[in-house]
Amino acid sequence: MSERDRIPSTPLHVTINGRRQPVEDVPNELMMLDYLHEYRNLTGTRYGCGIGLCRACTVIVDHEDGTSEERRTCITGAHFFEGKSIRTVEGHAERDEDGEIASLSEVQQQFLEHFSFQCSYCAPGFVNAATVLVERLQREPVAREALEDTISDALEDHLCRCTGYVRYYRAVRDAVLATPGTIKEG
Amino acid sequence: MRRVLLMAGLLVAATGVARAADPGADTDRVERGRYLARAADCAACHTSEGGTPYAGGHPIETPFGTVYGTNITPDDDYGIGDYSADDFHRALTEGELPDGTQLYPAMPYTDYHGISRADSDALYAYFMSLDPVHQQSTQTDLAWPFSMRWTLNAWNWLFAPDDSDDSDESTADRGRYLVDTLGHCGACHTPRNAFGAVESDHRLEGAVIGGYEAPALTPDALAGRGWTASDLTRFLRDGRSPQGSMYSEMYPVFHHSTRYLREDDLSAMTHALLGDDPPEPTPLAAKSSTTDGQGAQLYLDNCAGCHGSDGRGVARVASAMPGNTTLRLDSPRNLVKVIHEGIEARSFGTFERVQAMPGFADDMDADQIAALATWLRQRWGGHDDTVDTAAVEDIIGASSD
Repeated sequence: MSERDRIPSTPLHVTINGRRQPVEDVPNELMMLDYLHEYRNLTGTRYGCGIGLCRACTVIVDHEDGTSEERRTCITGAHFFEGKSIRTVEGHAERDEDGEIASLSEVQQQFLEHFSFQCSYCAPGFVNAATVLVERLQREPVAREALEDTISDALEDHLCRCTGYVRYYRAVRDAVLATPGTIKEG
Repeated sequence: MRRVLLMAGLLVAATGVARAADPGADTDRVERGRYLARAADCAACHTSEGGTPYAGGHPIETPFGTVYGTNITPDDDYGIGDYSADDFHRALTEGELPDGTQLYPAMPYTDYHGISRADSDALYAYFMSLDPVHQQSTQTDLAWPFSMRWTLNAWNWLFAPDDSDDSDESTADRGRYLVDTLGHCGACHTPRNAFGAVESDHRLEGAVIGGYEAPALTPDALAGRGWTASDLTRFLRDGRSPQGSMYSEMYPVFHHSTRYLREDDLSAMTHALLGDDPPEPTPLAAKSSTTDGQGAQLYLDNCAGCHGSDGRGVARVASAMPGNTTLRLDSPRNLVKVIHEGIEARSFGTFERVQAMPGFADDMDADQIAALATWLRQRWGGHDDTVDTAAVEDIIGASSD
């Protein structure tokens, strides 16, 4: 009997980046971040502080009603995601038939063009948070004057220790403005 | 004769000069006043969040309406600049302003009634030494009939203590003075009657205030939750102890008041709370509780990332669960509130800041909170009972569904 078999485990059903994952026994106390790294080899989601503070480990949870939300995987158990569908930083770009990246998402592209990140450690969390924001604004547009505050409110919990946030901020603003339907007219 | 008078005049003048030129006495008194103001936690109500110290504005929710802490800096128009030491003493200990206006008993003058005149004068000296802040206090907004201040005369006649305890520090029980008078612990921890007056025959037996339980602080209640004298002293001094950390309305008490108290005063308070012969702390009942089921899995999914799957927590980050005082309370109220609302970020001491605990109002329904609370209380709180969904709904409000 292997070591893993002795740990209380339960089958986990989860969809990641649009694909149903193979169902296997996952330890009841495993954090989602470890599941992504160790079971799915999706290492783009970063382990930062380990106490849910820095948000580098943020992924997107997609709800059936079309809404989405951020979730910190370093402090949330894998089984919290039972039956749920999530997106990680690996799931944003369009890929070709060979699985190679064909084009980046608007948020990713703006982050590159604005030189938003330097060391990139926080970038996966920012990509996911900014994507959740853009998608929310498509459903619930805001007035142009309210955009700056909206971006601050949505992203202020995410920590970046290189860039001073200004480049992230400009990139998110431009990603929102480049996405139709996010700004209320008038 | 004229020369004698002149000499006498010079002597008086010289004495006056000597008094004014002796900075030690005044500085000592001001410093003592500063310490007493902290022990009495004046800032809790008279300083608004992010506001100038003692310039007023902090809202105090009462069952009768909202009362705002007033400006107690020495501003002539909006503060206490024109108060004499007598005026100050009367406001502090009788709740009566110089113009005869009665203060609402949100100002704990019934507790402060026992403040000694010497301490009142030191507090007065301290507040008068502050820079005046020209800022009007927010007007109190109470519903009728409580908006009629004259009714307070009847309230005072019924509920205010009438024997002035001229506290002599050499003989008075310093701890009781700190707990009951300056610290006015009973303002939250003693239940109140329908008129909002503390029930003095149920001193420190616990009460619900602002939706949270201010737990019972009687010796038996404290020992029943595992408190020792040294842990209690540590809790008051550091805001944390093996039994948990201060949160909700107790955190500002630590932040503004107890962390500044001298070690001998903290020990005196602990002594006053636990008594001369503290009861043995009740050990946590050994449990062979389940590690599976809904409550256990909710814990692993939502809590264990910081508090650990074994509940040991992370030092200086997340409290340990075994024997945690919130889990050991008879009522699940505070546990349910914390799960539902989370805890704000707090600083403990100069170099430590603890991040917020998230609330799970959007993630867990009443059923799930009940299952989690039940499991936590059984696993690490020494309880056998279950928390039912209706109790959770009652605590978090029926609107949460």
